[in-house]
Amino acid sequence: MQKIELMAPAGNFESLQAALDNGADSIYFGVEQLNMRARASINFTLEDLQEISDRCKAKNVRTYLTLNTIIYDHDLSIVKTLLQKSKDADITAVIAMDQAVIASARAIGMEVHISTQINITNIETARFYAMFADTMVLSRELSLRQVKKITEQIEKENICGPSGKLLEIEIFGHGALCMAVSGKCYMSLHSYNSSANRGACKQNCRKKYTVIDQETGIEMELDNEYIMSPKDLCTIDFLDQIADAGVKVLKIEGRGRAPEYVAKVIKCYRDAIDSIEAGTYNKEKVISWMLELEKVYNRGFWSGYYLGQKLGEWSNGSGSHATQKKVYLGKGMHYYPKANIGEFKIEAYDISIGDTILITGPTTGAQEMEVKEMYVNDVKGEKATKGDSCTIPLEFRIRPSDKLYKIVKNTVEA
Amino acid sequence: MVIITLQRAKCIGCNYCVELAPAQFQMSKKDGKSVLLHSKEKKGFFTLKSSDYTIFDDSIKAKEACPVKIIGIKQT
Repeated sequence: MQKIELMAPAGNFESLQAALDNGADSIYFGVEQLNMRARASINFTLEDLQEISDRCKAKNVRTYLTLNTIIYDHDLSIVKTLLQKSKDADITAVIAMDQAVIASARAIGMEVHISTQINITNIETARFYAMFADTMVLSRELSLRQVKKITEQIEKENICGPSGKLLEIEIFGHGALCMAVSGKCYMSLHSYNSSANRGACKQNCRKKYTVIDQETGIEMELDNEYIMSPKDLCTIDFLDQIADAGVKVLKIEGRGRAPEYVAKVIKCYRDAIDSIEAGTYNKEKVISWMLELEKVYNRGFWSGYYLGQKLGEWSNGSGSHATQKKVYLGKGMHYYPKANIGEFKIEAYDISIGDTILITGPTTGAQEMEVKEMYVNDVKGEKATKGDSCTIPLEFRIRPSDKLYKIVKNTVEA
Repeated sequence: MVIITLQRAKCIGCNYCVELAPAQFQMSKKDGKSVLLHSKEKKGFFTLKSSDYTIFDDSIKAKEACPVKIIGIKQT
């Protein structure tokens, strides 16, 4: 069986590096405005394409440009520019929804992957898009039984993409799910003019709502007021079944999330996929991965629709249920490569021996470690506070633009 | 004086402003973002100063519709 490809979100260089450092097989990213996170994250620009490509190629990691909003006439020129520049920079493929993007990419011989926005739910649609695309993500609402039927049929009928290779099926593995069928939602557009299908979702489904009968004015009693906000998808506890269903690519959602989120989630899923391959995937490991995953942003976990369980596992809060959070301490000042020591300026709170710290930066990615030794204002010390200069032995290089955080326990808000 | 500003870099190219105030806005065929016609740029902010008060109503509609809130209107 072919090993599952682990696809990581890269909303910025910090997350990109975190994905590379933690074992992603591929990354997806947006450039400028025409992607599903046009609003949420700081997107890459055309000038970044070459660096994205170079950094990933050095680690043999594939790169996918997301260009999956609906497209208007006035977008056609920038679409072509984005595709051409991506091809010039040797970006692996484009994740597309609009036929204009699919056609433009094929016209220049660029590999196409089909976006979740197309909502593929059956073999005939997969066969249709195989005329243009080598990989396609299936609708998030399918059960694994349905996924398996599609992958079996692809193999049986030898359905291939333009590359001549067997069509690859991708599914969402971890991260936010929404009320709408695979992202096709108009709620944000109708309430705020802010179209989810142009990458500007306001996520108003994540708020509390009450339901009132307009005729009688009677308010319905609801167990959970967050009736439109599903928990986050997590599949690590049945990843073996996903592999068995013939899935070739596992996509991790989260271009809008922090680099340490990408680092943690990719590390866990990397370990899980490798364990399946090695035949060492077991319950004990699943428990330890779940504990790790709960540390970073989440709305509580459920298995989505894959196992055909009851519908609607609603979140019971508007924010994260993460068991940990980061607190800003200060910034990187200098790195002494010979001694492997990093110097930081502490600007808030304090740092002590034994603390778990997180260092993030565009080149550093997201590095987490425990402080075992430190010098405060050039004297060996136990604790540094605001205003202090603090040096710590590090196994990796830091840069002056890096940010230093402390990881602390999060009291879960309900 | 009516003063319109556009923080262009954040535009997601949704076209609302053009639909509501076509005399002031146009979509760029080059990068798919909104262009504030006859404006002057300074540090990423495009500004148009006009003594024609009739442009105010349509411009306000564009400002209110903008999903990324990058249009500013002032009347002096």
